[in-house]
Amino acid sequence: MKITLVSIPVRDQEKAFQFYTKKLGFIKKKDTPLGGGNRWLTLVSKDDQDGPELLLEPGPNHFEPCKVFQEALVEAGMPYTQFDVDSVDAEYERLKNLGVEFSIKPSTFGTVKYAVFNDTCGNFIQIVETI
Amino acid sequence: MSYYQKKIDAIKDTLFPNQEQLETVIGIKNYIDNNYESDLNLDFISQKRFVSKFHLLRLFKRYYGQTPRQYLIDVRLKKSKDSLKNGISVTETCFAVGFQSLGSFSTLFKSRNGKSPSQFQKEQLSRSITNSDC
Repeated sequence: MKITLVSIPVRDQEKAFQFYTKKLGFIKKKDTPLGGGNRWLTLVSKDDQDGPELLLEPGPNHFEPCKVFQEALVEAGMPYTQFDVDSVDAEYERLKNLGVEFSIKPSTFGTVKYAVFNDTCGNFIQIVETI
Repeated sequence: MSYYQKKIDAIKDTLFPNQEQLETVIGIKNYIDNNYESDLNLDFISQKRFVSKFHLLRLFKRYYGQTPRQYLIDVRLKKSKDSLKNGISVTETCFAVGFQSLGSFSTLFKSRNGKSPSQFQKEQLSRSITNSDC
């Protein structure tokens, strides 16, 4: 058994696709129409193209509890998931220059440095670096 | 301040009250990161950081969730992937990242990645050719 897919709920798949590829730098792996304007749309890290795929899932538009859960997380400022980066400070500067809004600036937590930003698609996302 | 940040800050105060200890263990990790290719062992690292071997082992495990040895192996394997992607031969990669035996490197690499170093390298190199073709 292998972990090959993780999903993230998004309100607008195309908007999410633009944000996650153009700003975060992921690349498209699969894009299949699923009817009703929905797509099976997955991304991978540029440096780990055999790694787990990130599914941009339009769940909040089709399943009310998913929307409620997503809103509750945002209300609490809680990240939906996190991605590893080589340098939180460098990514913070890079993303800030691209207009990305951070709810938590680079901070330390023991042996980890982290920051949290808004993905504009209904989620907070945390980036982490082991120091 | 959000609920999340308050919670994180509260946990941080409970878990990491000892800044000096934290700095020691981060120093050990940085030392491994910068010297992974040499013949590192716990005795040497503990002398370097003026802490006892067993204390170092406990500290490292507590803060990083794995032993220094496990961490060192992870670093070497990660570096070996970069080296193989850059077209360096399997043998050269093995010794350059600090492994002492080609056999144990290949076995370990396969057990962690599901493919041998040479298979991994072949796939990566053919991918970069395919990408540049498209």
